[in-house]
Amino acid sequence: MDRPYKLLVIDDSQEILVALDKYFKKKKFEVVTATDGLEGIKLLKAEQGGFDLVITDLVMPYVSGVGVISILKKEFPGTPVVAITGWGEHPEALAIEANADMVLEKPFDLDELEQSITALLEKRT
Amino acid sequence: MSTEIVGVSHNIQRIKELIEQVADTGLNTLVCGETGVGKELVVQKLYERSDRMGKPFVKVNCAALPDGLLESELFGYEQGAFTGAQRRRRGKFELAHGGVLFLDEIGDMTLPLQSKVLHVLQGGHFSPLGSEKDVKSDTWVIAATNHELEGDMKQGKFRGDLFYRLSTIKIYISPLRERPEDIPYLIDYYLREYSIQFKGKEISKPSGEVMKKLLGYAWPGNIRELQNVLKRILILGDTEESIDELLQTAEDQGYSGNSNPGNVTPLVHGELINLDFENGAKNNSLSLKKVRKKVLDHVEREVIAYVLNKTGWNRSKATKILNISYKTLLYKIKDLNIDPPEGANLSQEL
Repeated sequence: MDRPYKLLVIDDSQEILVALDKYFKKKKFEVVTATDGLEGIKLLKAEQGGFDLVITDLVMPYVSGVGVISILKKEFPGTPVVAITGWGEHPEALAIEANADMVLEKPFDLDELEQSITALLEKRT
Repeated sequence: MSTEIVGVSHNIQRIKELIEQVADTGLNTLVCGETGVGKELVVQKLYERSDRMGKPFVKVNCAALPDGLLESELFGYEQGAFTGAQRRRRGKFELAHGGVLFLDEIGDMTLPLQSKVLHVLQGGHFSPLGSEKDVKSDTWVIAATNHELEGDMKQGKFRGDLFYRLSTIKIYISPLRERPEDIPYLIDYYLREYSIQFKGKEISKPSGEVMKKLLGYAWPGNIRELQNVLKRILILGDTEESIDELLQTAEDQGYSGNSNPGNVTPLVHGELINLDFENGAKNNSLSLKKVRKKVLDHVEREVIAYVLNKTGWNRSKATKILNISYKTLLYKIKDLNIDPPEGANLSQEL
């Protein structure tokens, strides 16, 4: 059997982290979580073999989601990233500018998120 | 002068880590925190750790100049752009090309200028005053402020789009009172620094009692205040009385963010109870009913005085905040003996 896809989820809301972690583990993904952008970047750089996909919140302390996306796209250009945001259009536009592969607005449907992720992962392979 | 970020608190550890991780990215950065926490030092460190070190580092204080001047300072102008523009002058964005542009006190920038800065950040180019040509600028913009920009944004004083664009990396430095564990390290560090500066001066570590006072103090002026107090201890000697005096003067000099509401003294139980044990039992001075009335009066007085001071003794505004009628407010002011500050213009109502 193929190895499971490895996801990195970055969000400063514990609720969202727990929900995504639970959901995607159930769906046989491997999930690593980080509570802010700085932790996220450290994990990204430390992970051997890299992550298959990154899901990140946009408004976070230290390193914002836009920062994470910019760094990710520079250092790991092949890794798709989904931005999730609960805020108005500004960070959203910035995420697109930073080349996020997709921007989802909170609240979102977990099935919908999974479908988009699967599509991005298939496109990549 | 001070070159190291000193501290062991979680906040300081994260900031040091962050600098290592992001200094090379050139992503727009916002450094916030109260006055005196060391924002400029963090900006300096970001620059030193980046691959732009050695390239220009240009600082602009956005609060120091009136709008028009600041604009020409930032973007420059062409010869003849306005009366007195006798020759072309390059702006700071252009001068900082390849390096860092440090926009200090960005929270004090006016809205029209904010949109011009936003425009540069969006496109990476701008045109000097009086010029038709666009100038391209590769500048790492680092901004700093002691404002709470999220609050300013809600009040329409700061553009949301500029805020989000600037805070791709956001570094918040906590005030010293929230990280007292850093104080002993800071004291050690600066005493060593000053011993080099005050050559020949014998420098000993503050005594236990003095140290206790320094650790227990709230440091409203943050590290800058700590530096000043340490320097003065070195000059004046560190008897306990002189420390008390120093910390007191510091507070009087307006370091304190929250001034006392009016001339109301803080709640003191003894004063409320005012019990004379010899006669206490006889005159009911511990009657709960009376205590309750006293406490209520005291708290009401403190709150009303606070609101009045905050509204500049505009009583109409105060009634709205306190949600009481105008008549009730006037009654309370009289009943609770709340005095207006000298010079308050009480005729200016509505």
